[in-house]
Amino acid sequence: MARYLLTRAWHSALTLVLATVVVFLGIRALPGDPALSLAGEDRSPEALAAIRTEYGLDRPVTVQFGHYVERAIQGDFGSSIRTGIPVSDMIRTALPVTVELSVLAILIAALLGIGAGVVAAVRRGRPAEWVANALALIGLSVPHFWLGLLAILYLSVATGLFPASGFVPLLEDPVGNLHHIILPAVILGTGLAAIIMRQTRSAMLDSLSADYVRTAKAKGLSPRAVIGRHALRNSLIVVVTIVGLQLGGLISGAVVTESIFGLPGFGKMTIDAVFQRDYPVIQAVVLLTATAYIVINFLVDLLYSVIDPRIRVAGEAA
Amino acid sequence: MTNLSRASRAAIGAVALVCALTACSPVADEAAPADKPSQSQNSFGSPANPDEVKEGGKLTVALSAEPDRLDPSLSRSLYSRYVFQAMCEKLYDVDEKAQVVPQLATALPTVSPDGKTVTITVRQGVKFADGTEFNAAVVKTTLERNLKLPESARKSEIGPIDTVDAPDAQTVVVHLKTPFAPLLGALADRAGMIMSPAALQKLGTNFASAPVCVGPFKFSKRVPQSSIDVVRDPNYYAADKVHLDGISWRILTDASIRSANLRSGDAEVADSVSTQDVDSLRKESSLTVLQSQSLGYQGITINVGNVDGLGTPPKPIDRPIAKEAKVRQAFEYAIDRKALVNAVFNGISTPACSPISPASAFSSEAAQKCREHDPAKAKQLLQEAGVQVPYTINMLASNTPDTLRLAQALQSMVKDGGFDIKISPVEYSSLLDEQDRGNFEILQLGWSGRIDPDANITNFVGTGGSQNVGGSSNPELDAVLDKARQSTDLNERKQLYGQAVGLLQDQNPLIYLYRQANLTAFSNKVKGVQVYPDGVIRAAFAGFAK
Repeated sequence: MARYLLTRAWHSALTLVLATVVVFLGIRALPGDPALSLAGEDRSPEALAAIRTEYGLDRPVTVQFGHYVERAIQGDFGSSIRTGIPVSDMIRTALPVTVELSVLAILIAALLGIGAGVVAAVRRGRPAEWVANALALIGLSVPHFWLGLLAILYLSVATGLFPASGFVPLLEDPVGNLHHIILPAVILGTGLAAIIMRQTRSAMLDSLSADYVRTAKAKGLSPRAVIGRHALRNSLIVVVTIVGLQLGGLISGAVVTESIFGLPGFGKMTIDAVFQRDYPVIQAVVLLTATAYIVINFLVDLLYSVIDPRIRVAGEAA
Repeated sequence: MTNLSRASRAAIGAVALVCALTACSPVADEAAPADKPSQSQNSFGSPANPDEVKEGGKLTVALSAEPDRLDPSLSRSLYSRYVFQAMCEKLYDVDEKAQVVPQLATALPTVSPDGKTVTITVRQGVKFADGTEFNAAVVKTTLERNLKLPESARKSEIGPIDTVDAPDAQTVVVHLKTPFAPLLGALADRAGMIMSPAALQKLGTNFASAPVCVGPFKFSKRVPQSSIDVVRDPNYYAADKVHLDGISWRILTDASIRSANLRSGDAEVADSVSTQDVDSLRKESSLTVLQSQSLGYQGITINVGNVDGLGTPPKPIDRPIAKEAKVRQAFEYAIDRKALVNAVFNGISTPACSPISPASAFSSEAAQKCREHDPAKAKQLLQEAGVQVPYTINMLASNTPDTLRLAQALQSMVKDGGFDIKISPVEYSSLLDEQDRGNFEILQLGWSGRIDPDANITNFVGTGGSQNVGGSSNPELDAVLDKARQSTDLNERKQLYGQAVGLLQDQNPLIYLYRQANLTAFSNKVKGVQVYPDGVIRAAFAGFAK
C-alpha cells in the first residue's frame, strides 16, 4: 500500500510540474497582449511600455518563469494586471463560492442520480424507469446556460422565489447564502445527476443479476438489505469513478452557472482572466486547478482501494 | 489676463454645446423608420425631486463589464467612470447638455491670451472622505501624479502641461507648453478627479485598493469580478442632497441577465441594455429606458500602411484597398448605413459618417456630410481603379454576437457594390493584438467618445497617432488637426473640424458606420437616475420613491 501511494504521489508531482510549465508557456503563446487588453481604449505607447515594465512582460520568458516559480513557492502569485488586486485575495474570495456551489451540486446530483438510478434498475420496464430515463435525457442534453436562463425567468422574474443574481457569504448570513446559491447549484447538478443516474442504473442492473445478489436473496434478506447493502454498495465503485471524472465538467459548468447568476466564483474569475490575458490570475488559477485535479484523482484511487481491496492488491503487485 | 479671455470664452462656447439634436442631425432623422421612436429623441432622465424620495436604501446597479483599477490616474476602462461618478468628484463635470460645468472648481477656468496659462479657482471648505482638507495644493499633487506616474493613463490627455502652481489655497495655475484646447474636456474626466493626498501617501500605486476622493459616497468594498460597494460619505460638502445609504454595482456581463435582474427587482438600474431588449422593456410600466446617442463611433479601419506594427513609420501595402482611395470610396458607396442600423440594431443606433457627433458643439454641416448608398457608383469606381469584381477583402471583427450580426449584414450588403467580405471573428484581446501588429486588411472597431473632438480624431487618423492602427498619414489633415487643437476660438475649431472631415472622406482611412446609443434602464421605484451624453450613469443623487 505504501509503495502504491508513493508511486501515485510521484506521478502526481510530475504532472503538476508539467502543468505549470505548459500553462506558463501556453498562455504566452496565445495571441493578445495583456498590456494591450489592460490599456484598452486609452492606450498610448508610453502607457503600454510602463505596463510591460511593471509586470515584467518585457523580460525574457525564462526570466519571467524563474520569478514566477520563485514567488509561487513562497505562496505569492502576484497581483491581477487588470484590477491590481492580489491574486491570493481574489482566490480567497472566489474559491469558497465555487467549492460551496460544487459541493452542493454534487450532493444534489448524487441524491437525485443515485435515487433515480436505483429506482430505474429496480423498477425496470415500468413507468418509473421511463420517467427516470426521460429526466436523465433532459438533464444530459439541455445546456446549463439555457436551464439557468429559464430558471431566472420563471423562478426569479415571474415568481420571485429566488434572487436572480448576487451572493451572500455563508458565514455572514447562512440562510441568505442558501437562498442565493441553491438555484445555481441545482442547475449545475442537473448534468451530473443524469450521468450518475445512468451509471447507477446500469451498474445496479449488473449487480442485481449477479450471483451474490441471488445468494443474498436466497439467504432470506429483505429486499431493502439486498439492494442497499449488496447491490448498491458494489455499484457505487462505478459511480465514484464517474463523479471523480466529472468534477472537471463541474468546474466548466460552474463557469457558465456563475456567470449567469453573477456569483463571484472561481470559474467566472478564470474565464474573465483568460479573456483579459491576466497572466498572474490565469497562472495561479491553473496551478490550483491542476493541483485540485491531481489530488482528486489521487483520492479517487484511494477510495477505490478502500471500497475494493482487489485494486490495492493489484496496485501493489504492479 | 482678462477675467474672461478670448480663450476661455472659446472654451466655454466650445462645450456650451449642443444645438438641439434634431436641428443638426439630418442623418439621424432619416434613419428612423416611421414606427420606431425617432433617433434624435434623447432621454437623459431628470433629477430627483426631494419631496418624492425617501431617505435611505441601497441602490443596486447591474453593470455590463467590470471596472478596472479604481485609481483615476491608472483607470483605463469606461466602466470605472460609473463608479468614480459616485465617489470621485472632478474639477469639472459635464451636464446633460454636454456642457462643461464647474464641480470642485468654482467657475470655468480663465485662460491667458496666449493660451498657455490656465487659472482654476477651487472650492473652499471641502473635505475628502478621510477628513483631509481639499485645497489648491492637493489639486497640484493630483495633476502632477497624473503627469509623472510612469503607468499614468492620463499623461497623453493632459500632455502639454508643463508645471502646476498653487499660489494660494483656492487658486491653481496650470502652465502649458503649447495652447491646448482639449484640456478642459480632460479635466471634466478622470484627469480632473482629485485624490486624497493622505491616501496617496499611504497607498501609493495601490490607491485603487481603497480609493479616497471627494464625493457623495465613499469606497466600502470590492469583490473582484462581482461587485463594488460604496456608502454615503458624511464628510461630503453637499451631504444633505444625498438620499441613498449606498450603491452597489453588480457585474453582470450578459445583457439578457441584466434585464432579468431588473425585472425581478434584484437590480434597480442596468446599463447597456441590448437593442434587442429595448422594445419589450419599454412596454413594462414599472421600468424606464433612457436613450441617448454616444459621442463615439463604430467604424471600419482600413490598413493603408501599418506593416511593421503600431508606432512604426507607415509603409506602402500592395493591395487595392490600401493603395487606392477610389477603392475605399467605392467601399463606402457600397454601404447602406441606414439599412445597417435598422437591420442590426433595431433602428436604435444612428448612422455616422464622421468622427464628430451631431450632439457636439463642434458639429457643422461639413462635419455631417455623408456619401449616400450607391452600389452602381461603387462598381464604377472599382472598375476605374482597375480592380476585378467581386473584390475579396478580409475583415477582422470581434466575436461578440452584436458585432457578428453587423459583420454579416455588411457582408451581404456590399455584394451589390462588387465587394466580397470574408469575416474573421476573433476574441477581443486577439483583435487588439492583430490590429496593432497590422495583421489585417480591414477591421471593425469603435471608440466610446470624448467631449472634445480632438480626442476622437487625432489619435486615430493623425500621422503617428497612438491609435492610428491603419497607418494612415496625411500631412494636410495633420496640419488642420494641429491648428484645431491649438485654436481657442470655437467657430474656428468648428470650421477646421469640418475641413478635417472632408479630408478624411477623400481618403477614407477609416469609414465611420454608426453611433451607438447609450441605453440605460431603471425601475420606477427609483427617482433621479440620469445618463448624460458622456454615457456615464449618474445615480449619486437618486433616491427610492416614497
